[in-house]
Amino acid sequence: MNFRNFTKYIALIITIFIFINRSAFAQQHITVNGTVIDENNMPLEGVSVIASALEGATTNDNGKFTLSVEQGTQLVFSYIGYVTQTLQAQPTMTVQLLPDAIGLEQATVVAIGYGSVRKSDLTGAISSVSAADFKQGIISSTEQLLQGKIAGLTVVQGSGDPTTGASVRLRGGTSLTASNSPLFVVDGISGIDINTIQPGEILSFDVLKDASATAIYGSRGANGVIIVTTNREKKGGSIIYNGYAAVGYVAKNLDLLSADQWRQYVRENNIGAAIDFGGNTDWQKELEQTAVSHYHNLAFSSGTDNGGFRASINYLDHEGVIINSFLQRMGGSITAYQYGFNKKLKLEFSLHANTDKWTGIEYGIFDRAYTLNPTVPVKQNGEYTQIGGTLNNNPVELQNNRNDDSSRKRLLGYLKAEVSIIDGLKAIANISYEYNLNQGRFYRPSYAFEGLTDKGYGSKTIADYTNTQFESYLTYEHTFAEKHRFNAMLGYSFLTNMYEGSGAERRGFDTDAFLYNNLAAGQDFRMGDVYSYKGNSRLISFFGRVNYSFNNKYLLTATLRSDGSTRLGENNKWGFFPSISAAWKISDEEFMESAEDYLSNLKLRAGFGVTGNQDGVGEYKSLALMGTTGGAAYYDAAAGVWKQSYGVTQNPNPDLKWESTAQTNIGIDFTLFHKINATVDWYYKKTSDLLYTYSVPMPPYLLSTMLANVGDLSNTGIELTLNSNIFKTQNFSWDGTLTLAHNRQKILKLSNDIYQTDVVYSGLLHGLTGLSNVFSQILKESYPVGTFYGPRFEGLDENGKFILANNGEPEILGDVQPDLTLGLAFDFTYRNFDLNISAYGMFGQKVLNAQAMNISYAGRAPSYNVLDSYLKSGINDNVTYSSYWIENASFLRLQGITLGYTFPSSFLKKIGINKLRCYITGENLFVITGYNGIDPEISIDGLATPGIDKSISTSSADNVNYYPRPRTFSLGVNISF
Amino acid sequence: MKIKLIISIIILLAFSACTDLSEKLYDRVTTSEYGLTEGEIETIVGRAYASLRGYSDNAEGGTHAYPACEYVFFLTSISSDECTLPTRYGGDWFDDGQYQALQKHTWQPDNKTVWSAWKYCYSGISSVNAVIYQTEKSPLSDEAKEKIFAELRAVRAYYYYRLLDLFGNVPVTTNYEDLELPANSSRADVYAFVENELLDIIDLLPASGYGRMTQNAANCLLARLYLNSEVYIGRQRWQDCLDVCAKITGSLESDYFTNFLTNNEVSQEIIFSIPYDHKAGTVGNYMASMTFHYEQKWAISAAGDYQWCGNGMCAQPGLYSSFEENDIRRKSILIGEQIDLRTNSVITMPGNGGNQPLIYTEDISDFTSALQNEGARLKKYEVKAGETWERDHDLVIMRYAEVLMMQAECYVRLGASALARPYVEQIRSRAGLSTPETIDLAFINEELKREFVFEDHRRTDNIRFGDFFNPWWEKNADPTDRHTGIFPIPSFERQKNGKLTQNPGYTD
Repeated sequence: MNFRNFTKYIALIITIFIFINRSAFAQQHITVNGTVIDENNMPLEGVSVIASALEGATTNDNGKFTLSVEQGTQLVFSYIGYVTQTLQAQPTMTVQLLPDAIGLEQATVVAIGYGSVRKSDLTGAISSVSAADFKQGIISSTEQLLQGKIAGLTVVQGSGDPTTGASVRLRGGTSLTASNSPLFVVDGISGIDINTIQPGEILSFDVLKDASATAIYGSRGANGVIIVTTNREKKGGSIIYNGYAAVGYVAKNLDLLSADQWRQYVRENNIGAAIDFGGNTDWQKELEQTAVSHYHNLAFSSGTDNGGFRASINYLDHEGVIINSFLQRMGGSITAYQYGFNKKLKLEFSLHANTDKWTGIEYGIFDRAYTLNPTVPVKQNGEYTQIGGTLNNNPVELQNNRNDDSSRKRLLGYLKAEVSIIDGLKAIANISYEYNLNQGRFYRPSYAFEGLTDKGYGSKTIADYTNTQFESYLTYEHTFAEKHRFNAMLGYSFLTNMYEGSGAERRGFDTDAFLYNNLAAGQDFRMGDVYSYKGNSRLISFFGRVNYSFNNKYLLTATLRSDGSTRLGENNKWGFFPSISAAWKISDEEFMESAEDYLSNLKLRAGFGVTGNQDGVGEYKSLALMGTTGGAAYYDAAAGVWKQSYGVTQNPNPDLKWESTAQTNIGIDFTLFHKINATVDWYYKKTSDLLYTYSVPMPPYLLSTMLANVGDLSNTGIELTLNSNIFKTQNFSWDGTLTLAHNRQKILKLSNDIYQTDVVYSGLLHGLTGLSNVFSQILKESYPVGTFYGPRFEGLDENGKFILANNGEPEILGDVQPDLTLGLAFDFTYRNFDLNISAYGMFGQKVLNAQAMNISYAGRAPSYNVLDSYLKSGINDNVTYSSYWIENASFLRLQGITLGYTFPSSFLKKIGINKLRCYITGENLFVITGYNGIDPEISIDGLATPGIDKSISTSSADNVNYYPRPRTFSLGVNISF
Repeated sequence: MKIKLIISIIILLAFSACTDLSEKLYDRVTTSEYGLTEGEIETIVGRAYASLRGYSDNAEGGTHAYPACEYVFFLTSISSDECTLPTRYGGDWFDDGQYQALQKHTWQPDNKTVWSAWKYCYSGISSVNAVIYQTEKSPLSDEAKEKIFAELRAVRAYYYYRLLDLFGNVPVTTNYEDLELPANSSRADVYAFVENELLDIIDLLPASGYGRMTQNAANCLLARLYLNSEVYIGRQRWQDCLDVCAKITGSLESDYFTNFLTNNEVSQEIIFSIPYDHKAGTVGNYMASMTFHYEQKWAISAAGDYQWCGNGMCAQPGLYSSFEENDIRRKSILIGEQIDLRTNSVITMPGNGGNQPLIYTEDISDFTSALQNEGARLKKYEVKAGETWERDHDLVIMRYAEVLMMQAECYVRLGASALARPYVEQIRSRAGLSTPETIDLAFINEELKREFVFEDHRRTDNIRFGDFFNPWWEKNADPTDRHTGIFPIPSFERQKNGKLTQNPGYTD
């Protein structure tokens, strides 16, 4: 029974009850013709309108009702999940009901993958967020909507770069090799690139956290599953427009010496050998701009009893706060469905498409901006100033003398058929096709300082992938003897991923006229100028689930999934992923009745399940392969030419198998004083057969590394979610949501019988001054990923040299994993005004401020710029990695404040508008932190350099942290007709 | 009934097709499907030669294993008396003290430059073993196979020779399929392996072929083995060295620097080299950028189209002075004022706490905090404006001058100094110098230093002459057990392979 039916029945029962008892002798009657609408001004069907114990009505599918009552009667409007209203009867009435946050929890249907259940019937740990609670402000990647909204879900936007996505991690990472990103399931289609779906299209997210909930996705569920439900048509027709315009600027820069401070430093220290170039340049500011962005989303929909559609288009123009960087996105989607055969068949079709265009940045600019002398002018006589070698060249020139026009196209289409075979038995099948095309176009002109030796460099790359998926499943629902409710599901899924790509590049252009459009014009031919590749993988699954509920109090769920993957070794292609969970609605027991006033909705949940991961295994990793690799040409002296050589490209591992995660979850849900909803979950996750690229001895192995299953990793944590209507009067209401999560990660084992590893060094500082080949972190048993390992700082001696404990013997110096993550949101409404304040924070994590470390050394000033704080620090030593630079990066960020105003509907009606709301949002207004770098929120993704704040290298992959985060203000409007 | 049958067939077909999990390959092949034709075999043999350029091992933390620069060349050259790599004022090039340890002969088993040499050699050996394995399985004729095997075994012998010289006691593996963890062989066994392999195959090798293991190259390698025989196995084999040298044909280029031109493949003197060409995508050939100052580019190109340079390795103080003034080979060392081609005045360098003129000095005031301009630079190979990061000159491994000097040394060692003089004279006169009447060992030693400066010979020569263990600039005398004559087995490898024992005198 779904939510809509359920409420209909309730309403019907109430109405019948009322009509049976109807009084026959009422006087001075008036006839009330009314309409009930919801928060989106859409008609609300099935609302009970009660005049007295004897009189009442239910709204029809247009939200209308007619009722004959005595004049002056108070009418009570109630609907499950909405705040009940009491109003005096009028001949014509339009009543708006608003959702009740607490009530909604009870009745909400939650998607659980291949089906849905009432939230109250859940046995696993699942949290949901609906559109009203999404993060506000500029959203350039869809996962940002969830930032700080769900206990245990960390969304880190690594930087302010509009062209990069956020990293999403649930309950700590489980893998050393795989992405650790949860699986996104959009309207039942699994494994979707979430950025295919634009923020305006999304109705809600259901986040499946524990293994008993995610095991139905088997090998794809180890990092949690996020089920996305998109907006659907409403009965009748509507047109909705949402849009905003925003301005953003860099929130914080490094405090380097200004030209005046530099001159003062040179004067006070009597440095004769300092060259004053006469300028007055703040290199950071020169790279920044006030970014103007705007977004528009137009949707219209129409629905009847037998079908409906919804179509929307959207456009985002998002300027970066760094010059010459932006993202433009245009997208559209259409969803339609139709019933047939007496509603026995439902066909649904959906198409989402969008295209991105962007210009990224040259990541080397930041290091140069921190290095270059502030007295150097940006330009002299109209030419960019270049004072020296390569590492202190002009960053403005570097960022401007380039053409980077990348684009991406995403497409998702699916066809879904749902057939009711007999009562309770349904067959569902869907075919989906996802296509993702990435194109890179780059040209660096011959006069660009960086590319002088190239004499013009142009490249074009193209890469695409398609995921074609077929899924079908049967569901059966039956209740025996009124007490035993069964729900069973059995399914099959087939997914094939095909990827291919090619690229071409050339150097040596006699003219810059063509940019990247005519690569043949480049005359400098090289062997690696062209390449192409292609590959395929397939995943085949069988799965089933049984839900059983006894007396609606005792709930049991069991699932089993078997996945087969082409990527794995010959003998280990198939994996089995079972789960079992149970829940007990304690508050439905008779003995709890006395506690009803202060404790209700008490439910205890427990579950165990196993999920797998094969993301870390690329295609063909188990095989002995021959191939060409870059830089492996050989000289054929006889022919006098260079040729491509072939060789074995990897150590084959025929035993490659699934990484599996066993998770136990115990949770409790309850409501205190009918006011505060609370959910507490405890979990323990243990990942075995960790996939990792291990060092193997060479000889006898051909290559020194090999992908293998070795080792164990655990995550233990506790999560708390509280939400409450804190305060409420007729015109004012205050709601709050608090999420808290604690997770502790530990590497349990790095060795097995074959592979012996005591410790793996990571956090490479290569590229930092004097730190080539120096590692800052270790992977070691009983420590989490991202554990800093180095000398402990004890003080500075009288000459400003570092004093290190135990002669610099390295020791454990803390780790990058936060002890506590927090999300906090308050919603206030006063009459037509609404105010939302949201904040999130992470506490207890360490960050290596490698940026400061790299530019704080003796002899750097005055030739290069330094931090103001460095001059005051008393340091007069070489660059030295030690605990001195490892800082506590706890922070609380005021993520956003939104103030909105909804125009009164009485006024809007006259001009034919259903709803009009305007709002203003301020994003990233402040950060409370003791961290000394630009921003304490540093990506902890991956193994290579988690929690290391630096801008040294020129590749964006190494500098995910560095594009400064903007502070933005936006003005938006929501209109529906 | 009919319909049911059709449905069952469809379901069966659907399921069998939809449970197939074999991988389909598009842009590569499995080893068993490749190497079936002569042309394919040629491309595999090419990989054995390509391996000589080394590789960058990103998976293990970016340890470069390049014989032309980082870190194989660093390892041997800094530990010898010709080069050094000081830590610069501010800490640049400290890099965990790994180069300081090379200078001071205090390296430990966890030194990454030591590891890079191990990886260089064994990655090459594994490549060769794989190629031999594949060639063996191929349908080529036995005769064709024998010829290919000969070349491959010569390449492998070169790697084992380097291991013998660097590490001494190393495992000898020749079988691609054997995944048993190997234990060390004794230095004598490794020596015997290299000698026997070379003797087995020399006659089957081609007489010529640039960049290939020719008979001359294999003989030159064998001569090196015999020349250092006393170091390796405690037995002098000077006469054997002379006998092998006699089989090597070749001549000197009239201009010493022809050997080090960007297009040095024109040199008739080169016996064996590792070819490089940036257009073919070769990597690891950027020593110039490891030695020149950051601002050196302005002395090479007024337009500034010279590559970034990192101000690293220099000549050890005293090296420059050990050359006579009119020795043309002294031009291999860059010293003094560097002129900015834009202004025709001395380049201004930032750093050292202020801006100063770029004047390279022979001396280095403080090894652990050297000023940016201190230390003369390595400029043996031709330097050109507009060069790419990956330089195009081939790395010279053996040239005919070495054969002459080996012969001279052996005659001196055998007490026939007069017979040595004509060989030395050829070398000296090309360098623009006269030759003393009597040649003694000390003179040979000095002449080797000058002739092969920055050619990766010096560590082996220092050890053979015994100087290696004596104090020199920023280095005390080595421990009397002379265990530093070979490097330790890298601790990283011992962690992975418990059967490897550490070399004497080292503890992990």
